[in-house]
Amino acid sequence: MNAVEIKNLSKNFGAKQAVCGLDMTVPMGAIYGFIGENGSGKSTTEKMICGLIPASGGSIKLYGKDYTDIDVRARVGVLIESPGCFPGLTVWDNMMLQAANLSIPNAEKEVIKVLKTVRMEGAAGNKYKNCSLGMKQRVGIAMALLGDPTLLVLDEPLNGLDADGMRIMREVFTDIIKDGKRSIIVSSHLLGELQKVATHYGIIRHGKMICEMTSDELDASCRTYIALQADEMSKTKTLLGCKYSRVEEDEAGYIRVYDLTTPEDVVTYLYENGVTVTEIMTDKIGLEEYFIDLMKGGK
Amino acid sequence: MTRELTFRNPSFSERIKGMLGVDFYRLFHTPMFYIFLVIAAIIPAMVSAMTMMPGPDGSAATPLYSNVWQIIAATEPLYVIRSIADYANMNMVFIFGGIMVSIFIGHDYKSGYVKQLFTTHAKKQDYMISKSLTCAFAMACMCITYFIGGTVGGLLVGYSLEVNVGSLMIAILGKIIMSLGWASLFTFLNIIFRRYFGISIASSFFFGTGILIIGVAAIVENLSIPTWFLNIFLYGSSVNACLVSNVGTLIICAVVSVAWAVFYNVLGTRILSKSDVY
Repeated sequence: MNAVEIKNLSKNFGAKQAVCGLDMTVPMGAIYGFIGENGSGKSTTEKMICGLIPASGGSIKLYGKDYTDIDVRARVGVLIESPGCFPGLTVWDNMMLQAANLSIPNAEKEVIKVLKTVRMEGAAGNKYKNCSLGMKQRVGIAMALLGDPTLLVLDEPLNGLDADGMRIMREVFTDIIKDGKRSIIVSSHLLGELQKVATHYGIIRHGKMICEMTSDELDASCRTYIALQADEMSKTKTLLGCKYSRVEEDEAGYIRVYDLTTPEDVVTYLYENGVTVTEIMTDKIGLEEYFIDLMKGGK
Repeated sequence: MTRELTFRNPSFSERIKGMLGVDFYRLFHTPMFYIFLVIAAIIPAMVSAMTMMPGPDGSAATPLYSNVWQIIAATEPLYVIRSIADYANMNMVFIFGGIMVSIFIGHDYKSGYVKQLFTTHAKKQDYMISKSLTCAFAMACMCITYFIGGTVGGLLVGYSLEVNVGSLMIAILGKIIMSLGWASLFTFLNIIFRRYFGISIASSFFFGTGILIIGVAAIVENLSIPTWFLNIFLYGSSVNACLVSNVGTLIICAVVSVAWAVFYNVLGTRILSKSDVY
């Protein structure tokens, strides 16, 4: 059984079609990285999964049940944009209010548990309005974790976090799914960070799912390239451009050769043409470049 | 590695208990509630004092009321008001109450609380019921502070205490009961306008002052249609709870208040179910 199964989902806002014919499958125990450009329909899809906006068509099943069923809704935790907290109340009070809404028995114990999970137990007495952005995001995740949900939907939870905040968030995600019964859908524009935790990916464009894959499949799909630096960079680039079909210069000043070849061949070819290679390595493109390639229409 | 999933179906009473707990906690922890209680007490005291003030030329005051209790309820059902004295009674609570409900519900939307709430097992109908009951309680409290303020103010300016105690009690109880219908109306208006405080407050004020019903009352009177017909509306029933009320008045208030509360709750639930939550 999958945590989420979406078939032919659509949503119209007047004449504008935000989501059209979207299919999506999130397996149980997965961290599903939901990726797309701004306005591609990510947040709209997430809001439909969360029951915040009604779908115009299609079906959403959570654990095999309709997403509107009360019993299945009780197992969904959500952080969409920002947590719904009252700024004048403390983190603890806000958590207790959410616990009351969820009719959680032993609320205090549960709140302490989830605050520990997000490393916020020391800040429970802080007023929500005085929390930093990173702390607010973690409060949002703690709130989403109340009631022992099996599906978490997190919209841009990494936004505005510093390096340490990102690290804590990665640890939190890993902790959440370690028992294998929870799944997380997480959307983010920070693809490098997402790649460190995601086990599955869904890429959406213009309201349609253009690709779903596991992290292993992504790894296999990501092209290998050779990056090098030489004594005469412009001549090197011209020479390589004559022999190989795709040669680019990256932001770090390396020339990349994407064709299937070996470093030895490249070095020999350049040496024969009077160019000395000073540095050479092989690497794979990351999720970010894969995504950019996909958006450009290439792969 | 995956464990078998169990699903719990929270009952209506569990859901509503949790939601009411949150709403009442918020109500008692927001200064706004206490500010409105004080306003509800001060207004009738001020009105009493103003009605006994001498004219600008030093002429003797012409009291608008003949006893203390007219500040609480009119001497007879005055559907069409002709002076401020006809209007200045406990029905004013429903105006302040409307504004309070706008602020209370507006904060739900502004803070994102509603968004957080509707992602859980909470039903739209639970939200409507919980808000209506909480706001009705707040208005009922305002009725009580209005009664205290009005009584103290009236006594201080020297109005007579003469009254039919039974009718007075029924009038007060009737208006308290009407709080439920009014609170449901304001909740309904506010889930339409959501975070738009200005429009919400304006609409609450518009309906709270009963401008529509006063207009209808004037037409009804001119057409020689019996004015008791207006009792089927919230404003009519609120006016009907006056110093000549009897048990029948109380029953009318209860039926009308509950009927409108159900109507607005059903309508509000339908609108919430079909609309997007932001």
